[in-house]
Amino acid sequence: MIVEETLVAELKDKQTQAKAFEVLVNTYKERLYWHIRRIVLSHDDADDVLQNTFIKVFKNIESFKGESKLYSWMYRIATNESLTFLSQKSKKLGVTNEALKETLAENLESDVYFEGDAIQLKLQKALATLPEKQKLVFTMKYFQEMKYEEISEILETSVGGLKASYHLAVKKIESYLTGAD
Amino acid sequence: MKKENQKNTFKTPEGYFDSFNERLMARLADEEEVKSDIIPLNDGFVVPEHYFETVYDSVKNRLQGKGAKVIALGTYRTVYYAAAAVIALLVLTVAWNWSSEPQLRFEDLASTDITSYLESNDLGLSSYEIAEVVDLEEINLSDIMETQLEEEVILDYLNENVEEIEELNLEYDEIE
Repeated sequence: MIVEETLVAELKDKQTQAKAFEVLVNTYKERLYWHIRRIVLSHDDADDVLQNTFIKVFKNIESFKGESKLYSWMYRIATNESLTFLSQKSKKLGVTNEALKETLAENLESDVYFEGDAIQLKLQKALATLPEKQKLVFTMKYFQEMKYEEISEILETSVGGLKASYHLAVKKIESYLTGAD
Repeated sequence: MKKENQKNTFKTPEGYFDSFNERLMARLADEEEVKSDIIPLNDGFVVPEHYFETVYDSVKNRLQGKGAKVIALGTYRTVYYAAAAVIALLVLTVAWNWSSEPQLRFEDLASTDITSYLESNDLGLSSYEIAEVVDLEEINLSDIMETQLEEEVILDYLNENVEEIEELNLEYDEIE
């Protein structure tokens, strides 16, 4: 278990920066990857956004004041990078964000890095219909098994609000999955 | 309160209310971790083999400027549009210079163009200025009047306002 304060101090020091950055990437790459992947859905896009996230973390480490946990700060950057990526993609394709999310979910059927069955594919289609925040809360809680307090710090939303969002998301997804096609 | 209890015919298990708080808290804790029976626990995403082993090197290379990312053409779309516009402008300018005739002179203008220009533009000349350049013998009433007068209207006017026809000083053939 690494001590965050030490790692941040090492990242800010030119002498120890390179080694500390390697530790940082290797410690958080998987967690951040899955967080990003569940937003952008495609592996190639997730890889691109993950690299952008680490580069941004490296370049902005000086501005990290330690007011939140490093882990939360990185998650916030990853979330913003993912949402910005989707927004740019939808602009480039000339479609709305909602239409893009539906298309991305549909594309999973032919994605070699998606091994889900029919119900898992339907789950992705259900997630595509949710408002952005509900979807984020649901995936962070259900699949990443994060605590509400952690999600609260990342999404800057009250725990009560998150619980309500999660509850609504579960109901909507269940209704979508049990509904007729 | 006592009265209500006396009326109540329902009973609760012994010590039910004593343990209520504990059971409620336990239920709330369960809700925190609740998993749905309908929603799958796994979402079906996988990654290429050994992918995570390559992440650090990929990020390092990008930071050092190596293995630069291939940027989609769309990113530079505006630059291409600007370049295309500049080239198109140059081609048009060159083509215009090659194909254009020597500068126009007054004689090259068709008289109809001049007429239509004069008709559609207010030259701002006073009647004296017009009189200086236009020969009176060549000018008609209609050339200086904005509205055309019907012959009938003119005759009515003359009948009402001219007492002696001789005052008009017209030549004989004009009266006829």
